[in-house]
Amino acid sequence: MNDTAIDLQEIVKTYKTGSIEVHALRGVSLRIERGEYVAIMGPSGSGKSTLMNVIGCLDRPTSGNYHLDGIDLSSLDDRALAKIRLEKLGFIFQGFNLLPRTDAMKNVSLPLFYAKVAPKERRERARAALAEVGLADRAHHRPSELSGGQQQRVAIARALINNPAVLLADEPTGNLDTTTSEEILELFESLHRKGRTIVVVTHDEEVAERANRIVRLRDGLILSDTPTERGHFLEGSVVPQEATPQS
Amino acid sequence: MYDYIRETLELMQANLTRTILTLVGLVVGVAAIISIQVAAAGMAAAVNGAFRGINVNTFFIFPKSTQGSTQRANLGLSDLTLLEQNVPGVETAIPFGQTRTIVNAGHQHVMLKFGGESYRRFSTAPVVAGHAIERAEVENASPVCVLSSKAYERLFPHAVDPTTVLGQSVYVGPKRYVVVGVLGPATLSTASLGFDINNDVVIPYTTFYNDYQRGRPLFGIQVLGSRDAALATLEANAKRVLSEAHGGSVYQTFDFGFFTKQIDGFFGVVGTLVSAVGAISLLVAGIGIMNILFVSVSERTREIGIRRAIGASRATILIQFFVEAFVLAFSGSLVGMLAGLGIGELAQQLFIARISGTIAALPWTQAILLATLFATIVTLVFGTLPALRAASVDPIEALRYE
Repeated sequence: MNDTAIDLQEIVKTYKTGSIEVHALRGVSLRIERGEYVAIMGPSGSGKSTLMNVIGCLDRPTSGNYHLDGIDLSSLDDRALAKIRLEKLGFIFQGFNLLPRTDAMKNVSLPLFYAKVAPKERRERARAALAEVGLADRAHHRPSELSGGQQQRVAIARALINNPAVLLADEPTGNLDTTTSEEILELFESLHRKGRTIVVVTHDEEVAERANRIVRLRDGLILSDTPTERGHFLEGSVVPQEATPQS
Repeated sequence: MYDYIRETLELMQANLTRTILTLVGLVVGVAAIISIQVAAAGMAAAVNGAFRGINVNTFFIFPKSTQGSTQRANLGLSDLTLLEQNVPGVETAIPFGQTRTIVNAGHQHVMLKFGGESYRRFSTAPVVAGHAIERAEVENASPVCVLSSKAYERLFPHAVDPTTVLGQSVYVGPKRYVVVGVLGPATLSTASLGFDINNDVVIPYTTFYNDYQRGRPLFGIQVLGSRDAALATLEANAKRVLSEAHGGSVYQTFDFGFFTKQIDGFFGVVGTLVSAVGAISLLVAGIGIMNILFVSVSERTREIGIRRAIGASRATILIQFFVEAFVLAFSGSLVGMLAGLGIGELAQQLFIARISGTIAALPWTQAILLATLFATIVTLVFGTLPALRAASVDPIEALRYE
């Protein structure tokens, strides 16, 4: 049994824009264990979005190794990577990214559709997932008929429906007011308590402080990797390793 | 798959005007091709039906007018017997002779077709009073006539019953003919071909010869083959027998297959033209559909990104857009098919039915197959590029896309 959810080794990502090479990641090594709640922080251009895309299997590193839930991803083709995204990852975006003309129920069950789950089971599981995020009565509302917080909760239900190994959130509260943000962060905490592995990419210190561990990036490198207050005091949480975990 | 189809239908509904404009070309193309098929099928049925008024195993034989020899091939009375005796399968052969003339009966003066007939009948119209031309009347060249249904109605408009006109006289010029029989209407009219056998007045061909053709070479010979004789063989044998008897002169034959071929040829040309127009409009339609799919891809770039992030592979996105292309193409083809069948049916009702009295059954199976074929071709030819573009959308870019 592998306890490591995410294992990045010397990840380098270089973009070419015309003749200029942009070094987005210059060698990032990071291990995230199962059940951790990690915030990745950094100013614009620090490479945190690129890291998020690499972790989310949307982008391939130029060099380095990436194991997700024990699977080596370096040799997988598009179809296999799509399957990894489908089965191992749940995405939550700043802009919610729900399908606009589709009701909450359909949005939530979309991953099950790609996973070729039968329609009846799709409906049942989507209903249960919506109930879990407190939106059972909004199942047939379209995104435009929901508030921002409700939309984000639909997105969370969608991210969770395939029971992924890692929940990946990109600025999940960026478009929300303080009260709603608080609701979403509480939802994250409760998910964390249930044993979910959560990675949040943010530049908001308050959001990051809710995690157990903060990884700070600057210029494509890890600047620091420290447990938060919460991480120290929360009972049962996994204490992260040192900033340079390579042995 | 069902979800894709449903989603496409919702999209089409949401952009109804755009959808309609996109599909107009396809509808027109499919409708044109299918309606011409219906009309051609109807016309073919009408032509076949038209000849049913005359015995189908009939053909005409004429000296070939275009031969190089200075001497023109002749036909004479002796050739009638020659054909009847030397060509197996020939029931009877009579001089070809018909004229459009004024026929008088009492105060009625009517322009009718007037010609010879044998006791072995060329016409298939039923006898409703008296009898058809009889053998004795042919052998004696009797001055008798048989009226077809319309000739009877027009010459004797006040007659209460066909039997009442039997024994009455009709006149062509100074010549008098006694009515011995009246025919009912032939099952189908031949008016579409420029002659209506329901307007005929016939007399024994020998009488016709004596009164109008004597002293001149025959213009042609009309031959009736037995029911089971093969027409092509009959015609070939007849030409050969006549040629041998006339020192190698060349003869030509015509039968109703010749007319059928002419009409088929006409519809072939029309059909080709309409099909060409249809093909062009299908091309235009396909480009229109391709265009709208490209628009759809760029409008939904973000959506594609979301789907990819959630776990859709390139192949899945490709399929989704193919389904969309097919639903578009198929709905257009379907509407076009229904319109085509409708127009074809209307053409049959308004024109063909008036001529022939028949309406061919609508070729549903053929039309459905054709519409499906078009939809598939349009999808494959014009859906591929947009679907490929959709599949190649970079999810990272797409998610950043506003």
